[in-house]
Amino acid sequence: MPDLLEVKDLSVSFYRPEGELQALKNVSFSLHAGEILAIMGETGCGKSVLCKSILKLLPDMAKIKTGQIYFKGEEISAYSEKQMQRLRGSAFSMVFQNPMTALNPCMNVGMQISEAVRQRQPELSRRGRQERVEELIELVGLDHPGERRRQYPCHFSGGMAQRCVIAIALAAKPEILFADEPTTSLDVTVQAQILELLLKLREKTGMTVVFVTHNPGVAARVADRVALMREGKLYRIAEVEEFFEESIHNQNCI
Amino acid sequence: MKKKFPVFSLLILMIIVIGCFGCGLFLTKDPRYMDLAHFDTAPNKEFLFGTDSMGRDIFSMIWYGGRISLLIGFLATLLSTFLAVLVGSAAGYAPAWADGILMRATELILSVPSLLLTIFLQAAAGKANRYSLAVVIGLTSWMGMAKVVRTEILQLKNTEYVLAAKCLGGGFFHLLWRHLVPGLVPSILFMVVMNVKNAMAAEATLSFMGLGLPVEEISWGSMLSLSENAFLTHAWWSVLIPGLFLVGTIFCLTNLGNYMRKSINKRHSNL
Amino acid sequence: MKSRYIIRIVYSVVKFALSVIVLSVLVFTISRLAPGDPLYAYYGERVEKMSMEEQEQAREKLGLGESIPTQYVRWFQGAIHGDFGISYKYKMDVKEVIAERIGNTFFLGGLGFALIFALSLFIGLFCAWREDKIADRVICGIGTLTSCIPEFWMSLLLILVFAVWLKWLPSSGAYSVGKERSLTDRTAHLILPLIVVVLGHLWYYAFQVRNRLLEEVREDYVLLARMKGLSGKRVLCRHCLRNVLPSYFSMMAIAFPHILGGTYVVETVFSYPGIGTLAYESARYQDYNLLMLVSLLTGTLVIFCNILAQWINACIDPRIGAGRESRQGEVGSL
Repeated sequence: MPDLLEVKDLSVSFYRPEGELQALKNVSFSLHAGEILAIMGETGCGKSVLCKSILKLLPDMAKIKTGQIYFKGEEISAYSEKQMQRLRGSAFSMVFQNPMTALNPCMNVGMQISEAVRQRQPELSRRGRQERVEELIELVGLDHPGERRRQYPCHFSGGMAQRCVIAIALAAKPEILFADEPTTSLDVTVQAQILELLLKLREKTGMTVVFVTHNPGVAARVADRVALMREGKLYRIAEVEEFFEESIHNQNCI
Repeated sequence: MKKKFPVFSLLILMIIVIGCFGCGLFLTKDPRYMDLAHFDTAPNKEFLFGTDSMGRDIFSMIWYGGRISLLIGFLATLLSTFLAVLVGSAAGYAPAWADGILMRATELILSVPSLLLTIFLQAAAGKANRYSLAVVIGLTSWMGMAKVVRTEILQLKNTEYVLAAKCLGGGFFHLLWRHLVPGLVPSILFMVVMNVKNAMAAEATLSFMGLGLPVEEISWGSMLSLSENAFLTHAWWSVLIPGLFLVGTIFCLTNLGNYMRKSINKRHSNL
Repeated sequence: MKSRYIIRIVYSVVKFALSVIVLSVLVFTISRLAPGDPLYAYYGERVEKMSMEEQEQAREKLGLGESIPTQYVRWFQGAIHGDFGISYKYKMDVKEVIAERIGNTFFLGGLGFALIFALSLFIGLFCAWREDKIADRVICGIGTLTSCIPEFWMSLLLILVFAVWLKWLPSSGAYSVGKERSLTDRTAHLILPLIVVVLGHLWYYAFQVRNRLLEEVREDYVLLARMKGLSGKRVLCRHCLRNVLPSYFSMMAIAFPHILGGTYVVETVFSYPGIGTLAYESARYQDYNLLMLVSLLTGTLVIFCNILAQWINACIDPRIGAGRESRQGEVGSL
């Protein structure tokens, strides 16, 4: 399989008034087209920062110190903000940890989805956009799309809100979906449903998924390959069976 | 996002405060003496900042009158802080309905243009002296702080560490001293400094409008109340100099207050 | 649903009426208990030459002889029929005295309000967009400095520079004698007072907008919006601004009487014939009837705007409708 995304020797630091904080240290890996890569690690080991630095969604004080990121052979780490904006709405998409804060509380869900649709398909008419929004709402498994569209995030449960966030992410028809702990803040039963949904959608669209989690069980279930991070370093990356095989022998890895 | 300590502002403020209260040591002229031979004199070697239309030496008046301006700012703030803590903590501890009434009333007073309220009260109180002026200003400036105190107390009342302290058998005064006061002081401190500044501005405005201190009682405000005559005689110094001192003091106080304020932007921007 | 709205409207109206009545009682009592003699307002210096009996008679004539509650009841009966009495100083119906000037105040205050409303939103947005960059710092610095200048001194400064030294603009009044109808002349008289009114309030509201926006910018939904490919500017205008607007509107509703009240000082310094000068004079010279009407007008406006602000908050913010507490901070916590 060709490499869709390649990260080479990436180091990211936060320059805070208290001093420099190295969040990523010389991380290198590549992402094959169509696979699911799970990134595992403890809280604060740099999983989220890795995703956000690929999408360049980091705050101003975080800088890429060394390294390059290649998307389809093109170096995107040198892209300007304008160029990145074009990539974000189309090639990359992201699902966030907490759906309740990720959705804008003062904007109805339909509008938030349609914004993403508009970014990806500016040629669509108002009507066409609306149809696409309802299609997306149904796609992520919510009923009554016509009514849902007009509701606000505060009317939704956590699981429903996460479905909306996924709908927004899908509106971009992304080639790579970054899922940043999409199930962590949800109830256990809902977690299973959302995982199910993500797997089903992957099946349908064939997109590549980077799945960040700190739950080895989840990683084992969804991933083709697993990467383990610790203290900003990429510790190990391997096929899923191989990874957990070794981990059993080597207990302290997880 | 760390704030720099406003050294410069503190320095200027100290110079002004020390200068005002220690002015007896370096003043060569009696600020109240009306030298009718030298009225409206432009600044020169003898009269550093010139003289006003009554022939008084502005340089001496600045330091001498600053005392009263600062005193009124201090006294008014003392009163308003007292009222604010009283009302705010009463509302914070009272049952919901009493809290509702107190806060509605506070908000209503707050939304009345404060200067108008001050003018009304001062006009009702009759001839002003420095203490009545301080009381009037204090009475009209406690509302904002009261709201902050109440919010703070409500928050503290519901935080778990206070509950934990209660569970461990901490008495009321222990709670007050060890938990409520440390949480309250930083958020009030900013409001206190802002109140000093607002009180000084209010004093000057009232005196300027002829509702505050009379011309004989020298303060920065009453010095400025002569300034409308100054336009006729082009005596710009009697308008500019007291005003500059007033604005300078207020500006330094604001800088200090902003430094004391709790920083809101602890997290980084996502934009 | 509908009956709930009707109940709310009735509740608001009752609250409004009660507040106005309480306010009138308060102003009435305080003004009458205050030291000072209203006879001076009516007769001027002549009072000193009057004998005790003559003074008593004059008091009777003005209806000041009775106890305060009786006086209030009489005033209230008159007020319901639209009779607010005569002004002691101007010796004419107080309604006429006010009618002559209220237009000026509303013009100055209303124009100032509109400018403050638009500018503070614009400045707040701009500063939030360029947070901590040089432009933001410069604007914040200028803003802090301007907000430290008391309005009356700023007026004096502007008069000194533009009227006395440069002689570009007139220093007082609403129009030059004989040019009442000339628009350019009125505009020229308006510029300096307007500048002071705007600068005196602008920064407070602009900083409020900026600070609220800076809080919003730190929310997670901003990341999601940027993930969609929206530019920072668009996220700020479409998402953050939308969340700040309800509290901004309610803040501005309360700001309206504030800004109108703020013109009082400016009116006095520029001798601009408006309600402000009247309020000041009537309080100073115990012109009771005039004082009552001026305070009632201001108070009614204040109370009305307060209720309006609560309505705005309840209507615009979807979170309140869903039974959640609004996350927005309290108005005026700067």
